[in-house]
Amino acid sequence: MKTIVCRCEDVTLDDVRHALALGFRDLEEVKRYTGLGTGPCQGKECMALCGFILAERGCVPVPFTTRPPVAAVALGTLARGDEEG
Amino acid sequence: MSDRVPDCTVFLDGSAVRAVAGEPVAVGLWAAGVRVLSRSVKYHRPRAAFCLAGHCGACLMRIDGQPNVKACQTALREGQRIEHQNSWPAGEHDLLGAADAVFPRGMDHHTMFTSPRAANALLRKMVHRLGGLGRLPERGGELAALPSGRRRKVDVAVIGAGPAGLAAALTCAQDGKRSVVVYDEQDRPGGSLLSHPRFGIAAADALAAEARAVGVELRCHAAAIAWYPEDDGGLLAIDDGGVLTKLTARRYIYATGSYDVNALFENNDRPGIWAARAVGLLATRYRVKLAGRTAILGDGAYAHALAEALASAGSNVEHLASERVLRARGRLWVSGLDLEGGRRVRCDRVAVAAVPAPASELARQHGAAVELRAKGGGFACLVDGRGATRVDQVYACGDVCGFVGVEAARAHGHSVGRAVAESLA
Amino acid sequence: MSLPRETDVLIVGGGVMGLGIAYHLAKNGVRDVVVLERSYLNYGASGRNGGGVRMQWSTETNIRLMQESIELCKRFAGELKINIWLRQGGYLFLARAEAERARMERNIALQNRCGVPTRLISPAEAKRIVPELEVSELVCAAHNPRDGIVFPWPFLWGYANQAAARGVAICPFTSVERIVPTGAGFRVQTSRGEVRAQRIVNAAGAWSPEVAKLVGIELPNRPHRHEILSTEPLKPFLKPMVSLLSSGLYFSQSMRGEIVTGISVEDHDDGHVKMGSRLQFLTKVARELVRVMPRLSQVKVLRQWAGPYDVSPDGNPIVGEAPSVPGFYLCCGFVGHGFMMAPVVTKYYGEFLAGSARPAFFDPWRPTRFAEGTLVKEEMILG
Ligand SMILES: Cc1cc2nc3c(=O)[nH]c(=O)nc-3n(C[C@H](O)[C@H](O)[C@H](O)COP(=O)(O)OP(=O)(O)OC[C@H]3O[C@@H](n4cnc5c(N)ncnc54)[C@H](O)[C@@H]3O)c2cc1C
Ligand code: FES
Repeated sequence: MKTIVCRCEDVTLDDVRHALALGFRDLEEVKRYTGLGTGPCQGKECMALCGFILAERGCVPVPFTTRPPVAAVALGTLARGDEEG
Repeated sequence: MSDRVPDCTVFLDGSAVRAVAGEPVAVGLWAAGVRVLSRSVKYHRPRAAFCLAGHCGACLMRIDGQPNVKACQTALREGQRIEHQNSWPAGEHDLLGAADAVFPRGMDHHTMFTSPRAANALLRKMVHRLGGLGRLPERGGELAALPSGRRRKVDVAVIGAGPAGLAAALTCAQDGKRSVVVYDEQDRPGGSLLSHPRFGIAAADALAAEARAVGVELRCHAAAIAWYPEDDGGLLAIDDGGVLTKLTARRYIYATGSYDVNALFENNDRPGIWAARAVGLLATRYRVKLAGRTAILGDGAYAHALAEALASAGSNVEHLASERVLRARGRLWVSGLDLEGGRRVRCDRVAVAAVPAPASELARQHGAAVELRAKGGGFACLVDGRGATRVDQVYACGDVCGFVGVEAARAHGHSVGRAVAESLA
Repeated sequence: MSLPRETDVLIVGGGVMGLGIAYHLAKNGVRDVVVLERSYLNYGASGRNGGGVRMQWSTETNIRLMQESIELCKRFAGELKINIWLRQGGYLFLARAEAERARMERNIALQNRCGVPTRLISPAEAKRIVPELEVSELVCAAHNPRDGIVFPWPFLWGYANQAAARGVAICPFTSVERIVPTGAGFRVQTSRGEVRAQRIVNAAGAWSPEVAKLVGIELPNRPHRHEILSTEPLKPFLKPMVSLLSSGLYFSQSMRGEIVTGISVEDHDDGHVKMGSRLQFLTKVARELVRVMPRLSQVKVLRQWAGPYDVSPDGNPIVGEAPSVPGFYLCCGFVGHGFMMAPVVTKYYGEFLAGSARPAFFDPWRPTRFAEGTLVKEEMILG
């Protein structure tokens, strides 16, 4: 049965452990290998959780780069954003 | 407890559902007995709302022809067309859910079926067919019809209208000497006050009114989307109700609060397992009657406050303050929990009161340092006694500096607001 | 991984080039190889690109290499035991100006001669391939159904794992700080100690000029920031990678359903690698995208990032032994198309370093061409 760490991408606790067993050691790498934190919520729910799992293994987790935008934004909001009305 | 009277009809996959206009779609559907809102991307696991705060992505639906819309952040209105996503033929009966049983613990899609070539080709075809979530929007918009952007300059920009942000703004604006604007992505101010049974809408509105009274401008439905250090020497981009605002301020205060986090146990994503603060919202803000039994997990102050509030409202509560949960039971909706030691608890919903994680992304983009703190729930912003981060003009207060809860966040907001006002004097 | 004291070949840069060369060296019997990567694998351009692979080029060298590279991509999963999710949905180049038509026709003729089935098509036909396109501003398009996209990250893990399995030392989080030529090789100072090497391969991508400077070589390539974004995941609807020649906009739909799109934005060139994201990019790319596909206007951007293009003066790579420093090899200058070139380039490069004949592309891409003034301009550079 699955214990879900990242809901958006269906990444399980076993997936994270598997990535650690393969030698991935920091959040940037675990994110890339498992897909954790790359879905619609961009890690809001799972990054800290994964950070704690890494910390348990003696790693010193650093958050993965916060890619803009922090909240999803429609292309239509941006397309004429440089024309100031 | 409940004064909810359905006053509109919406259509879920074509069938009429009676609902209360203005409530979030996720809340209205749940109250009407709809259990599964969507299916997860890989294993097609049933999903329903978890956080009710727009942060977890568990509630994405197709609404009025737009894909991947957060049902917890969208107000119900007459005639709305709501559809399940990523399920076939229906949300509660999804044949693709078989994928969940095929990979019982997870999968390494990188190394799966790499050979022979025919198997690999088939895999690629399947993954491509099944990939993605919602279908392309029905309609788009011509460039000419889209809104143009805006530029704004203020003295103090506060991000987040929770207890910390409102308190900071109010204290900072009190002497009337500077312009203070608060942005919040939610539909009304209050943040974590809204989900706290001892505070709720009345307390949130009172604090917001106090802030407005001293001249603070409150803008809701306005999400700060990023700090861009290189554009025009640094600007904060805001999606203000669909209009891009390029904001610059003399001081920035990040009071972005915290995200609800789940606990780790098997089937922890079952519908019916909510963040405790979401259950708090159901009871406090939306005034939905919580029939049946609520299991509350966690030992923090919030877990206790929620347990007390639900019990005194006559709800059946099982507070599991320190028990370790092994797994959730129930196929489409949680029906119980298996605890370590063999005990089994029957319940109709679970409220997970794990320590929420600081919402420190914006502050981090703006250069603030963070540190992983177990008690603080995640990567907490580092600030000094005045709330100042290591970056000039950038401050933070409340849960973003490590989870502290409503009252402490408000107190922190006041003190940081004062410090910011002094720094501008 | 502990750092070896001595090695035959030391590769600077754990991007697709460095790791690909390491794998092919090992496969051809040279196992005494060390790869040094300053950060994690996938930190550089290789971990940040759009994954486009195409045969539509303007020089015969590039066309033929890419035909072979795509063949290698098809075999990649089987050989390297990792999925790269190749999807041959085609590449559709759109032209808005008449002047672009002549160029397209010329390139298509050359591609056809090499056996690439590219066709010049009308805007109406382009709309049949991608019904959501707004074609009123277009004059014509070029379409090759065999081009495609891949998912970049696993290439690096695949090369790294299979190289390591054959004895190569892959050392992430190790940067090269000083290089001293000793006459019979090099002493390389790293952040984790010293390594002696017979030969060095500079596969540091956009950082390669910095690394070349350590042995006194001035390379003509310059880093240029290139930004890109990814939207919310949608069910598959977009088959080809679409690109507008006039603006350099490109967009495709990944296996995960996201629209991945990029465009170049002006930047000041101070010789440093820059990887910050800008709002200017977001507004520019959104505008261009909505203009060619208005249906996307309410689609949401999930994340944006940037990576460095490694831009050479003529748009072609710089490969081979540096004339002034024997034993110091270059594999850089791949601009914005090094990923698709890597499978074929690293295969021949690795074999060459393991003793095989000098590959043909070493000639047009030789480092001395800039001084000689014999540049071969590649026209189909995007962004
Ligand atoms: C946004 C973007 C989109 C692109 N889209 C495409 C595309 O669609 N198709 C395509 O084919 N190509 C594309 N490219 C180009 C492609 O990504 C590159 O050409 C290719 O990845 C280059 O690989 P590399 O190994 O040479 O460089 P890199 O991947 O950059 O690797 C170089 C490595 O060297 C390391 N390094 C640097 N200095 C040192 C040192 N002193 N010590 C140790 N290590 C060091 C770096 O950390 C880096 O990891 C794109 C590039 C970008 C940025
Ligand atoms: S995002 Fe809607 S429930 Fe979490």
